Amino acid sequence: MVLAFALMGLLLNLPASTIASSASRSAAVQPAAGITGDVTWNGVDISTLGTISSALSIDFSQSANLLYKWSNVPAPGINDARLQMFYFGFAVATRDVSLSVAQTSGSWPLNWTPLSIGYVLEGVYKLTASVIAPNGTTMWSEDFYVTGNAPLGFLAVIPIVLLLLVVYEVYALVRSGRYAALGRKPAAPPETPPPSGAAPQTPAKAAEAPAEAPPETPPDTPTETPPPTETPPPAGGVS
Amino acid sequence: MSATSHGASCGVVLGIVIVIFLQQVAVIALSDLVPSLEYLIIGAVIGGVLGAVIGWALGRSYLARHPVGVAAPPK
Repeated sequence: MVLAFALMGLLLNLPASTIASSASRSAAVQPAAGITGDVTWNGVDISTLGTISSALSIDFSQSANLLYKWSNVPAPGINDARLQMFYFGFAVATRDVSLSVAQTSGSWPLNWTPLSIGYVLEGVYKLTASVIAPNGTTMWSEDFYVTGNAPLGFLAVIPIVLLLLVVYEVYALVRSGRYAALGRKPAAPPETPPPSGAAPQTPAKAAEAPAEAPPETPPDTPTETPPPTETPPPAGGVS
Repeated sequence: MSATSHGASCGVVLGIVIVIFLQQVAVIALSDLVPSLEYLIIGAVIGGVLGAVIGWALGRSYLARHPVGVAAPPK
């Protein structure tokens, strides 16, 4: 349980900068009419990667070469090409390339090596490629999906933690039957048969009885006498 | 803690973990916040219910195998 909450906290406790970037992305306006854009990822058009099933399989340890193209952008044009990777709605990776001079049409390369997150993350992620005007307005953007493979195969941090959690919780679930024993009443001590002829007497009744009147014992009840004890030989032993 | 509640707690954690694990093996995407939370809540609820049922059954099985107040067989 503690590990699960720690993992959730790790996933959701992202820096404020990523939250702010996510908020700014959600507030981005729709691209103006007439603006056309296109981005290729190692030569693959990202417009063909719009669904999870068509996600591009990439290796987090290898660099990606993206080429941004845009045209018909109103003045002052574009001066920033951005690539963001999202997880739980937050940008876990952002790559920016700023142009020295804003351009209303043109193309610009962007190289990205997500090695820093490759040892942590694995799986399918949504990325957003966008071109941004000097005033911060997103002029054009497109979402696409990639399936990232960790550099060490399946040995990224999160999959390992998840596997350990699954193993532990399955073990705890299998042993949960033992918790049923905690709610039941303890076994009563076995009843000893009372002396023959004597009525069973509860401790409460015994307390009510006067002290000078000991409980009667039937005369025919044999009283146990302690076995005779032999006197030990005198100290010094037998000569 | 009874066997049912213990099974439910294990099931909730398993449901959440399995949802994240499905994203790691590229079955679902957890990139957007709202559908991700929906996936996690659905996984937690289903896992909790299934875990409670499994815990309840295991508890009954344990009590059947370890009855209360039965003397141990003579050696």
